[in-house]
Amino acid sequence: MRRMWTWLGIGLAALLVAVFVGLSIMAGSPKDAIQMVRYALPYMHRGNLKVGDSAPDVRLVDLDGTTRFQLREREAGKPLVLVFGSFT
Amino acid sequence: MKLYEDYKEHADFLTIYIREAHPLDEWRMKSNEKDKDDVCYVQPKTLEQRVAIANDFTKRFKYGVPFGIDDMSNAANDAYAAWPERLYIIDEKGKVSYRGGNGPFKYDPKEVRAWLAQRYGEVKHPEAAPAATTTGKT
Repeated sequence: MRRMWTWLGIGLAALLVAVFVGLSIMAGSPKDAIQMVRYALPYMHRGNLKVGDSAPDVRLVDLDGTTRFQLREREAGKPLVLVFGSFT
Repeated sequence: MKLYEDYKEHADFLTIYIREAHPLDEWRMKSNEKDKDDVCYVQPKTLEQRVAIANDFTKRFKYGVPFGIDDMSNAANDAYAAWPERLYIIDEKGKVSYRGGNGPFKYDPKEVRAWLAQRYGEVKHPEAAPAATTTGKT
């Protein structure tokens, strides 16, 4: 029984090391892997929207910093391509 | 930008600026450093800060695509699960017609181009002419 728990512990530790190595390779370095887990994972999710769903209407701000508009106001009888991103 | 120039007569485009992906005070990227791409910003804590960075971006790249900024409630980011970058197409009836994957690995403008090309035809660009070379012959 004791032996089983020992092997289980070793297996779990090996799995964690493998996951960390994999994340480090994906992120670029062990430091990047830690920062990815800390800052990126909480925000990375696929979301619930599916093709065919109504597009959520959200309020946005213009580049002047004061004018606000609804996303729907930009729909003008043509398809609307949304490009989400940031500078960094 | 090329995609926008090619299809702006057929489709509307809107860039939505969301929370930073690699600010200096979070998961910073070496490639953003001053001696490389020089994209050094901390995560904005106020709308004014986010607006300022968005304006820096549009000025630096002379970005002509229509623009909107997500306010600090991050409502657009949350509604579209957009972080760090993502593409969608909303059809004329207000329905999601294309839902791209999350960047960086699944962010693929070619898929948007294919969607638009299927509807409005492909826009081809002439290949750039090869650089002229001197042969020394007269």
